[in-house]
Amino acid sequence: MVDTATISQMAHLGAGIAIGFGAVGAGLGIGFATKGLMDAVSRQPEVAGKAFGFFLLGAALSEACALYAFVIAFLLLDK
Amino acid sequence: MEHWIYTLNLGGHAISINLDTIFTMWFAMAVVIIFGILATRNLSLVPGKLQAVSESIMKFFYGTLDTMVENDNRKHVPLVASLFLFIVTANLMGQLPLRIIHLKNGGELASPTNDINLTAAMAIIVLIYYVFMGIRAKGPKFFLHELSFTGIVMALVELLEMFTRPLSLAIRLFANIFAGEILVSIALGGLAYFLPLPIMLFEILVAFIQATVFMMLTIAYIGSATGEEH
Repeated sequence: MVDTATISQMAHLGAGIAIGFGAVGAGLGIGFATKGLMDAVSRQPEVAGKAFGFFLLGAALSEACALYAFVIAFLLLDK
Repeated sequence: MEHWIYTLNLGGHAISINLDTIFTMWFAMAVVIIFGILATRNLSLVPGKLQAVSESIMKFFYGTLDTMVENDNRKHVPLVASLFLFIVTANLMGQLPLRIIHLKNGGELASPTNDINLTAAMAIIVLIYYVFMGIRAKGPKFFLHELSFTGIVMALVELLEMFTRPLSLAIRLFANIFAGEILVSIALGGLAYFLPLPIMLFEILVAFIQATVFMMLTIAYIGSATGEEH
């Protein structure tokens, strides 16, 4: 059988993998959101203020995906 | 991050209560209530400073509700406004130096939204509210639009959404505040007094953004529940 020390090590490894892959998705999402903001502002500079509000909203929504992974990683660290 | 847990024995069942969350929640509620009383005490046609500020806050809620909810949207202002003001106050409380008050059992006072029980309770309130409003607006058609294959599949998807929407609302708010506190404590270990400062300024921004996100999603759920089509 697997002893508890190995389970703990594997849980810590899994926590690292979880937060790593979660951060990849959120980084891509915020990058795409920034690209959209830059496109919009360079095409129409007068919408910059309004577009920045929507950008912050979208960035917060895609950042939340990384934070779900963070919660999972934090639960794994207790193992 | 440690909670001051009090175990209540209720007829053989042990119920654990996070007392630090309750105290900080009452503090945030008191701040919001005192702000409301002060802002509405001497209302006049020519607004003073405080009345002008609170009127612009209310205009923000009215504007967002007007753009995202179709019919009879002004009646949702009490829930939406109190959710936003409470969450902003609660999130900003995490940046106050409340940790110098030492509690027993190793607990510490921080933002009440770093406890998933509070955010889950708010998310369930939102769920009950928008389901109730949808049933009142559309009757049984809220659950089943049309009796066809697509209608039944859509009804099942919406039944699943009733579970996932409060879950994502609760975890989003909780995890943002919790991750911010962990980030600040890690920065405190790295270079004390200097490194936590920019992160704490960023956390002030996060407090407003997360309250706005919670409010926007609540309005979007109410709008999709009471609107004509999905």
